[in-house]
Amino acid sequence: MTNLFIGLFLSTLITALLTTRLYRLFLWYGLNSIFLGLAALEQYKLLDDKALLISALLTLLLKGLLLPYLFKLFALKFHTERNIPPKIRLQYAILLIPAILVFTFYLINPILHLPGKNYISLSIASLFLSLVLIIEHKAIFAKVIGFLMMENALFLLGMTATEGMPMLIELGIFFDLLMAVVVINLLFEVEHA
Amino acid sequence: MLEYLFLPLSLIFVLSFFDVQKSKKYLPIISSLVLVPTFMLLFTPDRHYWHDRLMIDDLNKFVLLVCAIVGIAVTLALESLRHHVKISPRHYRRFYRFFALFWIGMILSVTANSMGIFWVGLELATLSTVYMIKTNTTPFAHKEAWNYMIVGTIAISLILFGIILIYASAKPSLGEEAMLFTALKSHISRIHSAYLFEIGFAFVAVGSFIKMGFFPMNLWLANIERAAYYPVAALFSGLLESAIVTGLFRFSSLAKELNQSHLIGFTYIYALLTLFVVAFLIYRVKDFMRLFSLSGIEHMVLMLIFWVSGGYFAALLHFAAHAFLKPALFISTGVLESRGKYHIAGALKGYKGFKGRLFQILVALFMLAIISLPPSPMFFSELFGFSAMIDLAKGSHHLLLMLFGILTILILLSIIFYKFVDVYQTMRYEGEERSKRVYASEVGALVLLALATLALLGSFDFIEKIGG
Amino acid sequence: MIYTLIHIAVMVILAPLFLSLIKAIKMWLLFKKPLPLLQGYNDLAKLLRKEVIISQEASQITRIAPYLVLAPLLTALLFMPPVTKGEWYIGFVDAFTLTGLLALSTFFLMLIGLDSASAFGGIGSSREAFISALVEPGMILVIFALSLIAKNLGIAEAAIHLNTHFPTHHLASYTFAAIAFFILILAENGRIPIDNPETHLELTMVHEAMVLDLSGWYLALVEAASAIKYMIFATLFVSFFSPFGIGAPFLIALAIYLAKIAFLSLIIALIEVNTAKLRLFKVPNLLGIAIIFAFLSLISYYMLGA
Repeated sequence: MTNLFIGLFLSTLITALLTTRLYRLFLWYGLNSIFLGLAALEQYKLLDDKALLISALLTLLLKGLLLPYLFKLFALKFHTERNIPPKIRLQYAILLIPAILVFTFYLINPILHLPGKNYISLSIASLFLSLVLIIEHKAIFAKVIGFLMMENALFLLGMTATEGMPMLIELGIFFDLLMAVVVINLLFEVEHA
Repeated sequence: MLEYLFLPLSLIFVLSFFDVQKSKKYLPIISSLVLVPTFMLLFTPDRHYWHDRLMIDDLNKFVLLVCAIVGIAVTLALESLRHHVKISPRHYRRFYRFFALFWIGMILSVTANSMGIFWVGLELATLSTVYMIKTNTTPFAHKEAWNYMIVGTIAISLILFGIILIYASAKPSLGEEAMLFTALKSHISRIHSAYLFEIGFAFVAVGSFIKMGFFPMNLWLANIERAAYYPVAALFSGLLESAIVTGLFRFSSLAKELNQSHLIGFTYIYALLTLFVVAFLIYRVKDFMRLFSLSGIEHMVLMLIFWVSGGYFAALLHFAAHAFLKPALFISTGVLESRGKYHIAGALKGYKGFKGRLFQILVALFMLAIISLPPSPMFFSELFGFSAMIDLAKGSHHLLLMLFGILTILILLSIIFYKFVDVYQTMRYEGEERSKRVYASEVGALVLLALATLALLGSFDFIEKIGG
Repeated sequence: MIYTLIHIAVMVILAPLFLSLIKAIKMWLLFKKPLPLLQGYNDLAKLLRKEVIISQEASQITRIAPYLVLAPLLTALLFMPPVTKGEWYIGFVDAFTLTGLLALSTFFLMLIGLDSASAFGGIGSSREAFISALVEPGMILVIFALSLIAKNLGIAEAAIHLNTHFPTHHLASYTFAAIAFFILILAENGRIPIDNPETHLELTMVHEAMVLDLSGWYLALVEAASAIKYMIFATLFVSFFSPFGIGAPFLIALAIYLAKIAFLSLIIALIEVNTAKLRLFKVPNLLGIAIIFAFLSLISYYMLGA
């Protein structure tokens, strides 16, 4: 089941890479986080780690539901341009995305004996894909979404590769997220003041 | 004792919510209180705090001392900020507030033994820098604050990614302890999957390299330092870079014990590429801020390869000298650029009175010290560093390749040397003379930094002990 | 044997019903009075009664091609996966054969469009060529990924294997394949994000533009062909991606199979109501997603075994 959720996680990320609409991007981000949270819940059942349960629920509620909604509010408030054409053209993206995936799978070739190997490669792949998302957009909101997707990739890695990482890092990630929201809000406020 | 380090900074943070105009005079005094716990830490034996998550060892004692001196100098220079740039009291207060937060984050990441704390400290420092850049309200600064937000968080996320990979590589054998630098260091041979560790290290290194402005990301740091007020640049080169470099020192000494040849290949290639780009960027530079920040990248590269090549003493000496000289130069840009950004010609002429003369002499000395002319500590550090590199080359299987690399580095450095000499001559002997005002606070800061640089020359024994 | 014949007959006979079903659901969702489910048959009957008129410019191709549009599709029907265990099936047909047959049908359809030398026919054919060129690679990749998951190259055998060994360990690549295949269904059958089957607006039409000059019996043939094409894709989709109910007795299995296709039609109708048609030059974006997902499915099976 974890496989399925992580597959859907990656697929929402790839769809987000090819989308040209801002609100659609928020939707994909929300779905991305929801699948991540579900995968974390599955992992929690497997490992029975209380910290993981908290993180999974926080991910579902905070990243999956609250953040996309907040972002939509911000975008409405600041009358952001909703058409966000990617700078990388589709024909190149079709070549680039599989190339990244193949590269990351090649990267983990020497550690194929480890238990969490495909999760490691998938999270490295999603890290690179979110970097592509940041690079290919000029719009600030899209860049921020790319950054948050990167955060999700981090969480995926922490959750699967280390079989439950220290609470400290998980909290760090969420702290980071909140700060990001505050910073974004403040920066926009100042811009429109 | 460690707790007391945070006390003066929290005080600054609290004071920043009140009217600064009154309390401003006391701020340098408050910040110099940091020196007391720092000095006391210097003479206490190594200790661990908070379940091993924080620690005090020789390396971070030294780094803390350097950072404290730089921090005090910057607080001093902040006093006269409003004479050189337009800044409203509200933004002034905000600058102090985030300066204190920044410093706290810095201390956390320098004293961290847990990789998690190291990361949290860096994060705190990064986010507070965004606000410090934002105190300048021009559109350019706004854009660069966004840029910093994006690039900085990418860098930090990469670092965290690498940390998690390293943790994952060591967890099967070390358990929860795998988060601690000391545990990793003492059980490095028991690491479960060395390959995973190396991927993790590569991520950490690339993240730190982005943050320091290495190869593909050369210009963003210069742009940000150009956009922000000049004390931000001083803080960047003095404090933030020291935190990152310290972390990188720790990580690379772990990676070195695991697989030295990989580490050396990786850093040398990266360093050569960076130096190649940076040398020509410096050659084309037209204003002080970019000149200094690009040369900051150059020195960061040197520190890193000295450390990786085994020249610990050289790396630390270079690090300290750079941490003193570069903020001093950045602080003096406030005065040097008082006639506009691009007036290099004649920037060092027209200073009257004792303060002016002192300023002129100090800046000239700093300019000559940063290009490592003999009495400067940088001269010694580069001497020792390059000899360490040649020692490494002699012991390696690729003698000619290594020597060629070292030679290339020297040629690129000579381009930078030429440009600095050229800039110095333009400043000193060209352009017309116009009077400029110098304030006591910034001269005080420069004197403090100059004294610290001189003190470095006398403390070779102390530094040598750290490296061993 | 008899089951196979009944299955094929059901697929041929019920094909227009499901297209009418989609239309009816859409109209109902738009608060219109839904058309009767037998409308597809009425249309065909009406076309059969009508006189055949052929353009003066048209060559012999217009007379032959409609048969050749239908024939490969009818052949493809023979290779469909069985609805129940007792049924006979042809096991050796793989992805290339099937895509080849579908492409052959499309080829003759494009020839019809070009043959009458009207401007619209040319537009339609060129657009169809553009879209099919993007569909083919995705289609082949998807079916190969599925064959890998099911450990069998034959289409029918793969579907049966998926029923007996549902790929719980390969859910990720299985899902990717499903997403890609669904987009391909929309593209190949001219459903809404790609092409609107209900309009004759010259700027956007693809399929309608090609058959604009046909009438009577020939048009009936082509329309029947498009209904059967939908049926083929829907059958492939449901037997690969919801491979349940094969074990049941024949009649129940057939009912389950029809219910699954009706459900698929419902989803397609929902999508059609909720989305606007893409601009023609945005179509590659959607099909690009399909290709990427198909590829992803293939490599995540190969490299990760996930």
